[in-house]
Amino acid sequence: MTNPYQPHLAKITRIIDENKARDLKTFELAFCDSQQAERFSFVCGQFAQVSVLGAGEAPFGIASSPTDQGFLQFTVKRYPTGTVTTALHNCQEGDLIGVRGPYGNGYPMQLLEGSNVMIVGGGFAFTTLKSLTNYILHPDNRGRFGELTVLSAARDPGEMIYKYVLKKWSERDDIRLILTIDKEAEGWKEKVGFAAPVLKQIDPSSKNAVAVVCGPAIMIKTCVAVLLELGFAADRILTSLEMRMKCGIGMCGRCNIGDKYVCRDGPVFTYQQLQEMPKEY
Amino acid sequence: MTEKILTKDKQKEFLSRLIKVYQVFAPVEKEGNLLFSQINTPEELAEEYRNTKLPPKELFFPHSEALFRFRKGQVIEESPNEAERVIFGMRPCDAKSLTLLDMVFNTEGFKDPYFIARREKTTVISIACAQPQITCFCTSFGGSPVSEEGSDILLFDLGENYLVKSITPKGQQLIDSLGGLLTDAQKSDLKKRDELIKTALAEMKSEIPTEGLKEKLEGMFDSPIWEKIHLKCLGCGICTYLCPTCHCFDIVDEAVDSEGKRVRNWDSCMYPQFTIQASGLNPRLSNKERLRQRMMHKFNYSVSNYGQTFCVGCGRCIRNCPVNLDIREIVKLISGKQEAGRSFQ
Repeated sequence: MTNPYQPHLAKITRIIDENKARDLKTFELAFCDSQQAERFSFVCGQFAQVSVLGAGEAPFGIASSPTDQGFLQFTVKRYPTGTVTTALHNCQEGDLIGVRGPYGNGYPMQLLEGSNVMIVGGGFAFTTLKSLTNYILHPDNRGRFGELTVLSAARDPGEMIYKYVLKKWSERDDIRLILTIDKEAEGWKEKVGFAAPVLKQIDPSSKNAVAVVCGPAIMIKTCVAVLLELGFAADRILTSLEMRMKCGIGMCGRCNIGDKYVCRDGPVFTYQQLQEMPKEY
Repeated sequence: MTEKILTKDKQKEFLSRLIKVYQVFAPVEKEGNLLFSQINTPEELAEEYRNTKLPPKELFFPHSEALFRFRKGQVIEESPNEAERVIFGMRPCDAKSLTLLDMVFNTEGFKDPYFIARREKTTVISIACAQPQITCFCTSFGGSPVSEEGSDILLFDLGENYLVKSITPKGQQLIDSLGGLLTDAQKSDLKKRDELIKTALAEMKSEIPTEGLKEKLEGMFDSPIWEKIHLKCLGCGICTYLCPTCHCFDIVDEAVDSEGKRVRNWDSCMYPQFTIQASGLNPRLSNKERLRQRMMHKFNYSVSNYGQTFCVGCGRCIRNCPVNLDIREIVKLISGKQEAGRSFQ
């Protein structure tokens, strides 16, 4: 019997500072046991429990794509009250941390394949959206998806994460990339405004399209309203939820919203599913 | 499966023989509380009792247990290496609760190795209830004071004898290993057993309206009843602590420097920290949301997820609530059958 609580050790091979406030870091990991690297097969949108032995563990969405070979990425925001996030931020390259998973349902590839995809991400909730975008853009997969539009929103230029990835995407002609910040800032040449009005401006066609929206609650709410207005069906708008979790496998009883466990039945839900769930998130 | 007779003058020998082979746990009187404890002599068993203060869940899912240890960055496995065990004297409601916990910890997708190892190594010998307590309501949720569910062996106290019925192959194996200690049951014993069943069922005075409870709760998430119910609740969590089916847990690291263990502890949906996120967001801000979660989890969510209500009607939460918040009254209120003004006004 495999023990689902047992973490597998992974070495931090790279740490990337993601924002000016320096409370967002991306950790690139390699499993110490190469067999575990093989076993850890995931789909975009899934998460894992990441732990610092002695500090504890916490769930994080997987930021790398299944097409990335040999490494895993997690982007972690440090909270003053977050024991695990603080311990992770104190780690150095070369340190060993624990990973168990992958958990959750991930993005429904059956629904996404063959569709035009509109991705909207706000702040550091962009993690699994980066995974999804890189997955779609991979030469092995690109042909299975329609047009790809990505809108990334941040408070200010300093808070826009994954700049090194956005730059690569902006050089391609098979992805439409739109960046926006809340208020005008010196030297900023992209869009200005909250995600929802910018999304309205972009005016993506809902025809044969699926939208994926991740971000702060208010952003999800306003963007979903725009998408519905644009004719997106409720079962073709996806989002990913976060709740406090411990086990990640539907046993510890705390991440439920109604009868759904976010760890097991989510974290990805359609807007239609959300409408059927109690508003307790 | 066979039905045998254990005469009460042989009960001590019966337990002694079990103690030689197994770790035996039974209700023991400890500082005024009746608790399941390991016994080393038959005399330790409590003489007469209705039910234990704490449910038997801690024998399978301890209050606190190490999942693994770590030292200098290396993970050291903690293999759940339990001896073969017998739990003697469980009540049918508690035995049923084990089958509910099985659904949580032994799923198709994930298996909890700690819980499962203990379940596999344990033989459960229950004793049917002849005299339910006034707070018992097992029959309201499909249980019975004489139910076999979850037991490997069920005993009926016929006065001078126990009628011993093996329910599972594991139970039969234990009975077979006792050889001549047990004798075959006679027709007159079975008749006495049937009378006991009749009396026990007639003694169950507490019946609450549970039909369609799950469906009623579907539309009640925003019902004003939660406002009423929670006012009395202190949020102390004793109901979850003593509930045989409550299984929510926390996982934390206990360490000094680089050495320590990852520990699983019981947790409670009644506590504010239960759902608070690192960002400070807490989807269940007050007792109202927490008590609603507890009721919904037992009577609605669990029915969706496991096809079972997660309440066995043992009544521990009723007997031990410091403000006499009675789960039966809440169910009545949900059903719309609560007499106006009784408990919540």
